[in-house]
Amino acid sequence: MTTPMLEIRDLHVRIEEREILKGVNLVVPKGEVHAIMGRNGSGKSTLSYVLAGKDDYEITSGEVLLDGQNILEMEPSERAVAGLFLAFQYPIEIPGVATMTFLKAALNATRKAKGEGEISTPDFMRAVKEAGASLNIDSTMLKRALNVGFSGGEKKRAEILQMALLKPKMCVLDETDSGLDIDALQVVSKGVNALRDGTRSMLVITHYQRLLNHIVPDVVHVFSDGKVVESGTKELALELEAKGYAGFDGEKAA
Amino acid sequence: MSVIPVRLGPAETKLIEQLQAVGASAEAERLAAVGLPTRRVEAYHYTDLKLLLRAVPELAEGSAVTDGSALAIAGAFRFGIANGRVQAHGAAPAGVIVGHTKGGVLTTRDDVVTRLNGAFAADALTLDLTGAVAPVIQIDRRVEGRAGHSTSSARIFVGDGGSAVIVEVYSGSDEAHLTNHSTFLQVGKGATVTHITVNLMSAKATHFATSEYLLGEDAKLRTLVINAGAAVSRTQVFPRFAGARAHADVTGLNLVSDGQHADITMDALHAVPHTSSKPLFKSIARGRSKAVVQGRLVVARDAQKTDAKLMSQGLMLSDEAEILVKPELEIYADDVVCGHGSTCGQLDDDHLFYLVSRGISKPEAETMLVRAFLAELIDPIEDEALNAALTGVIEGWLAKG
Repeated sequence: MTTPMLEIRDLHVRIEEREILKGVNLVVPKGEVHAIMGRNGSGKSTLSYVLAGKDDYEITSGEVLLDGQNILEMEPSERAVAGLFLAFQYPIEIPGVATMTFLKAALNATRKAKGEGEISTPDFMRAVKEAGASLNIDSTMLKRALNVGFSGGEKKRAEILQMALLKPKMCVLDETDSGLDIDALQVVSKGVNALRDGTRSMLVITHYQRLLNHIVPDVVHVFSDGKVVESGTKELALELEAKGYAGFDGEKAA
Repeated sequence: MSVIPVRLGPAETKLIEQLQAVGASAEAERLAAVGLPTRRVEAYHYTDLKLLLRAVPELAEGSAVTDGSALAIAGAFRFGIANGRVQAHGAAPAGVIVGHTKGGVLTTRDDVVTRLNGAFAADALTLDLTGAVAPVIQIDRRVEGRAGHSTSSARIFVGDGGSAVIVEVYSGSDEAHLTNHSTFLQVGKGATVTHITVNLMSAKATHFATSEYLLGEDAKLRTLVINAGAAVSRTQVFPRFAGARAHADVTGLNLVSDGQHADITMDALHAVPHTSSKPLFKSIARGRSKAVVQGRLVVARDAQKTDAKLMSQGLMLSDEAEILVKPELEIYADDVVCGHGSTCGQLDDDHLFYLVSRGISKPEAETMLVRAFLAELIDPIEDEALNAALTGVIEGWLAKG
């Protein structure tokens, strides 16, 4: 059996005294796209931050293997260069950091980890242009400070641009559809789908089925009260949309 | 009523001796009567000179010669002042008339640093600038040789409609110097001037500098103080808005490391109607260090429609660092827009996490964020060579961390 791209084993996480993740088990094989659906507050975003290595959380037990390697002891930057990418639900605005400077620093960090030298400026410009081509990213956007003054749609497109540029092996997309209108959703989805290459894996976190019409998953997991309660094919998302989360976790709708 | 005599310390005693030696007996008497300011003097509340100035070295020898500079700026025209003496220089660029004057250049005010500068200043450099002066004008003020007490002054007039970029660099040999420099800069009607001072003194030195500005109608001024050197430093900035539509972006940066104390004190006077200012001060403190920013905005009774916004921002890179900020607004007019704000803290955790989540190492991410914090001060400096030189000063400071 080949090593899965991402394997989460019995992951328990708390913030202060409150347990948020209560034994998450999840396997994403190489090349597959899995969706996690769950109501607000079920712990979906916590899971994405824990994977990326945000240090506000206390991991009490469990393991997370990225391509067979336990990443929980690794720094966030080490996880990133090992091939993990989190597309943020709310990308952070950083005044004073030029978008291009940031992209170059991120790309060079990835190259350095692979033992490659720093990218030349012409090659870098070409790579950005290539990555941004299908995302309607114009040069004025890239001239601004990182995410500063970007619309909701621009921020999400910029996240996908980073993903396309850094070529991670495991992408976690946290509520990528939030704040997007239909047109923007199509652009972003097209960008994501273009990165499906049979090897790269994705974990798409959402609470609407709508995104999954555009990014069609291989497997859908239902997340409730800090763990996966049901897994199935993409039809599960439709069933969920029809019945609501209460039909799966027995809880009353919020 | 009897006057309680001030107990004088060794630094004050030495200063009094030196004042008498240069014939400034009135200043000597004044200092003997009041002593150096302590924290009870509001303007020196955070920079208690009685406490901080422990010793005063001998008056610096005037014979020193220098052609050194602590800051290389490609294409700049350089004047050197060594131990208070103006050095020989090449043919001045077009639009620059160079001269000398005796004594101090600052307007008299109740301030010990200003008074001492006036009392000890001997040879002042004067520059009269006309039209658009092409090269950056660099004035290098150095103290050479063994530890010395050195005073210098410069008076610069930028004529109506003129433009100039002037950089002053304070540096010296690696000794416990005491320096006190002054600049009087008059910005003529419609003139555009950038004036930058960079303190790169030895970490053993005590450094004072005062820049006074007089702005005419429609004058545009940008100033930047960088305090990166000296054990104790205080840079004073005194702009006076004397013509309608005069505007100044008064900016400053304290970079302090372990054992350093740096103070930027602004006292701005909006004297006439329709003038504006945007003072912006930033401090970065690491180790056990102290950065001080005092910003005083005075709006005269006649100065209606004054628009002045004072901002101070601090970045603390250690638990022992201190950043002390004091805004003072003194407004006598009733139709003005004046405000002040202050922020102080560490690097933003969310910003840091976003950068490291893209593979950028934590130290590199921190450096990027510190640079971002300073971009507002450095980005407006348009001259590329100057911008690069100032960026170099900052990068050098960051690299030493």
